Amino acid sequence: MKHTFKGGIHPYEGKELTMDKDVIEYLPKGDMVYPLSQHIGAPAKPLVKKGDHVLAGQLIAEAAGFVSANIHASVSGTVKAVEQRLVSSGSKVNSIIIENDNQYETIEFTPNKKPLNELTREEVIEAVKAAGIVGMGGAGFPTHVKLSPKNIDQIDRIIINASECEPYLTSDYRRIIDEADKVIEGLRIVLAIFPGAKGIIAVEDNKPEAIRLLREKLAGDTDISVNSMPTKYPEGAERQLIYANTGRYINSKMLPADAGCIVHNVDTAYAICEAVREGRPLMERLVTVSGDAIKNPCNIRMKIGTNYGELIECAGGFEGTPAKLIAGGPMMGKAIYTTDIPATKSSSAILALSEDAVAEMEPSACIRCGRCVSVCPGRVMPNKLATMANRNDIDGFIKNNGMECCECGCCSYVCPARRHLTQMIAGTRKLVLANRKK
Amino acid sequence: MEEMNLKISSSPHVRSKDTTSDIMFDVLVALMPALGFGLYLHGWYAMLLVVVCIGSCVGFEALYQKKMHKKITVGDYSAAVTGLLLALNLPPKLPIWMAIVGSAFAIIVVKQLFGGLGQNFMNPALGARCFLLLAFSRYMTNFVYDGVSTATPLTILKSGGEVSVRDMFFGYTAGTIGETSAIALLVGAGYLLIRRVISPKIPLVYIGTFAACIAIYGVTKNYDVLEYTAAHVCGGGLMLGAWFMATDYVTSPITSTGKVIYAVLLGLLTFVLRIFGGSAEGVSYAIIISNLLVPLIESVTAPKAFGAGAKPIGAVEDSNDHKQKKNETSDTETEASDEKNGEASSEETEKNPKKKPDIKGVVIAIVAIGVITIVMGAALGAVHDITKEPIAEAEAKAKEDAYKEVFADAATIEVFADDNISIDQVNEAINKRGFTDVYVDELNVAKNESDEALGLIFLVTNSSGYGGDLQMAVGVTIEKRICGVKFLKISETAGLGMEAQKPEFLEQFIDKPVGVFTYTKTGSTSDSEIDALSGATITTSAVVDTINAVLSCIKGGY
Repeated sequence: MKHTFKGGIHPYEGKELTMDKDVIEYLPKGDMVYPLSQHIGAPAKPLVKKGDHVLAGQLIAEAAGFVSANIHASVSGTVKAVEQRLVSSGSKVNSIIIENDNQYETIEFTPNKKPLNELTREEVIEAVKAAGIVGMGGAGFPTHVKLSPKNIDQIDRIIINASECEPYLTSDYRRIIDEADKVIEGLRIVLAIFPGAKGIIAVEDNKPEAIRLLREKLAGDTDISVNSMPTKYPEGAERQLIYANTGRYINSKMLPADAGCIVHNVDTAYAICEAVREGRPLMERLVTVSGDAIKNPCNIRMKIGTNYGELIECAGGFEGTPAKLIAGGPMMGKAIYTTDIPATKSSSAILALSEDAVAEMEPSACIRCGRCVSVCPGRVMPNKLATMANRNDIDGFIKNNGMECCECGCCSYVCPARRHLTQMIAGTRKLVLANRKK
Repeated sequence: MEEMNLKISSSPHVRSKDTTSDIMFDVLVALMPALGFGLYLHGWYAMLLVVVCIGSCVGFEALYQKKMHKKITVGDYSAAVTGLLLALNLPPKLPIWMAIVGSAFAIIVVKQLFGGLGQNFMNPALGARCFLLLAFSRYMTNFVYDGVSTATPLTILKSGGEVSVRDMFFGYTAGTIGETSAIALLVGAGYLLIRRVISPKIPLVYIGTFAACIAIYGVTKNYDVLEYTAAHVCGGGLMLGAWFMATDYVTSPITSTGKVIYAVLLGLLTFVLRIFGGSAEGVSYAIIISNLLVPLIESVTAPKAFGAGAKPIGAVEDSNDHKQKKNETSDTETEASDEKNGEASSEETEKNPKKKPDIKGVVIAIVAIGVITIVMGAALGAVHDITKEPIAEAEAKAKEDAYKEVFADAATIEVFADDNISIDQVNEAINKRGFTDVYVDELNVAKNESDEALGLIFLVTNSSGYGGDLQMAVGVTIEKRICGVKFLKISETAGLGMEAQKPEFLEQFIDKPVGVFTYTKTGSTSDSEIDALSGATITTSAVVDTINAVLSCIKGGY
């Protein structure tokens, strides 16, 4: 079985810049910023106020509802303020600012060494929820919600998304190479609370070392298989990933659980293991700092809340003058105009590129070459949707499956007329979603 | 930290290198082999035509955009591609000003008036070619090869002649500047495939469908199928059309299934136009007609979105529940609406808003089909007009040859001209003598070198043949003897009536001092008795009748 889907593109990978370098451990020096909204759902409710002294690992904001997540301090220090701060999405979000005392005093954690078969559902979900774990691939969907589907009995596949199809990103790869055991343990914990399920670790074949290592560790394991997928963007898009590994389709109105699947990011699996086994909350993650305008591209193991500027300095600073800074990968990441932005639970990468062709690109007329249609993993017609988006034809947009777009960016990538197809479609999708909420 | 000038834009932040102008440039490069061969074959004048077409296409585009205060986009090479394609579709001796008119039609009428690049409803170069075919058919069908006006291989093939597939493959035949060399076009197509500018889907399905139809047709006609099909595939611009113009992005379907439907349609249309149409060609019209159907094809072949129709597991029960609930609500609704019937109907129409677009769709489809029919009718009419002349030319040549054959001694042949005798009078006379089925079409005088009349050549038609009209050229010497008979039209039964063409039969008339021939089935005993064709009495009778009518004219003084 070939684990792939129809469509997709092959952009420059850029993974060789950081892939084989050891991860750098970085301890922050400056102020730490903890946005209360690092996840999908209601913003967390702050539990501290200005002047409070906090320890690393201490709960500083609690989930404000089921679909929400706890937030913990990742350093020790004093709460300086609770105020609006700029985050990578470009908006200002209420955040807790902690003045780092550089002591890194940490609260004590209570490990849980029970064998897998004695772990209860409630125990696991409680630990995950308490640790404030969210999807660390980018979307930031609270993990305890994912682990509590309505149809528990029907879940038969737990997929660890290790495809890491975004160019430049290698943090998941480094996590597997360095901590394969904990990633696998994280998956086993999830499998333990879904007794009918099998595990799949899906890796793109441009990471043969990771595939070899995982297969070696899982030799003889009948519950977990390692699937090697052809290297193609967006192999890691959730719907395409599920199809590639199970042959099941889901559309925009469905959740993975509707196809009997739960998908977790590699770092999320690692965090689940840390939370359940060590009782450690989510305080750190791996972030790739890369691009041709970075002196020493690398992966950094950093404390959540660290300022981007510090992380870039940690990677040797800029090489020349960057023309573009991106929070996340080049296909779906957000362009940022300042380095004064905090790293969050779902910050997978910071990229600095010395050249930016996109901002100055002059879109021209569509020549109907059809490339956008043939690469679209959502199998919609981006050229048609973009025209409708331009005309503000919302009904036509919905009728032509505009809402099935996952904004992966393939259409814009291939467009020879340089049309900003993804941008036009994404804008209209936001509009439709906003109207639905009303 | 130092001041940075960071740029902001929406994702994705990386793009592929290909641009519109790269694609257009690739097409220009791919056309170079065909262009090179065309210039080699036709020389400097063809070069001039190409330069004029490209120049005026680019010029007209720039001019139009400037006058309309639009951004001038000639830098994308699309106008240059149109110009080159148009030039390759023109006969090598077309007057320059016609090429300029064609360029103006392509760029201004077909392309810019409909919104410019990406909006034109048919291929501009082909639109212009068909326009020129209608407007200047004589010039557009005047093909010169090696300095001599020649029929194209397909015209020869259509009139039953023989062609060399080898010459057609390499391009040593008459035709437009760029269409003749299949191999040069294939080299260019290969380049486009390697550069991934085009997918082979449309050309392969198109040529495949067409070849299959032609092969089947060839079998029914007892042709050498392989050679006949090969000649049709190599000839008449199919290669140029299939690889370079049917694949035009703007005027071909985007969807994968749509491409196949479009290509099959092209193959069928080309086959129908070539075999049953008036012209020997069909590619240009097939492509522009199919271009018009593209929006329709695309709307019915829109891809199914990823996961469309997918159902959550265990959704069967859910949907049943949903239906039940719906039934319950509708029950209560009917009860409520019993009292207010008037409103019930309006409620129902509101409940099915989907019906409206369906009707709209049908109307659009009908209108579209109507338009297509009209355009096709016009196109077929045009094809007929265009081909009238070449066909008439071929006929005139066949006649001339026949005349020479029936009067081998003649040095010159002139139309019989005598103020006192008109053809109508001759026919009247023949009619009066009882030869009601015989009609003289033409009367010519055969003369020797010193301009003395040697005799007459009649072109006569007898309408009482077994299988339709019999037309023959009959030569009569001044001594009132038949000196040659040749059929121009004969469609009698093969093996029976068709035997009338054989020299053994016709020789019986030659040089006999006979005024009236008769035929016998029991063996000729005198000069005036003709051995009838066995099993073809009607044919024999018709031929003998015709000869007698001709002789009667001579005897009767005419």
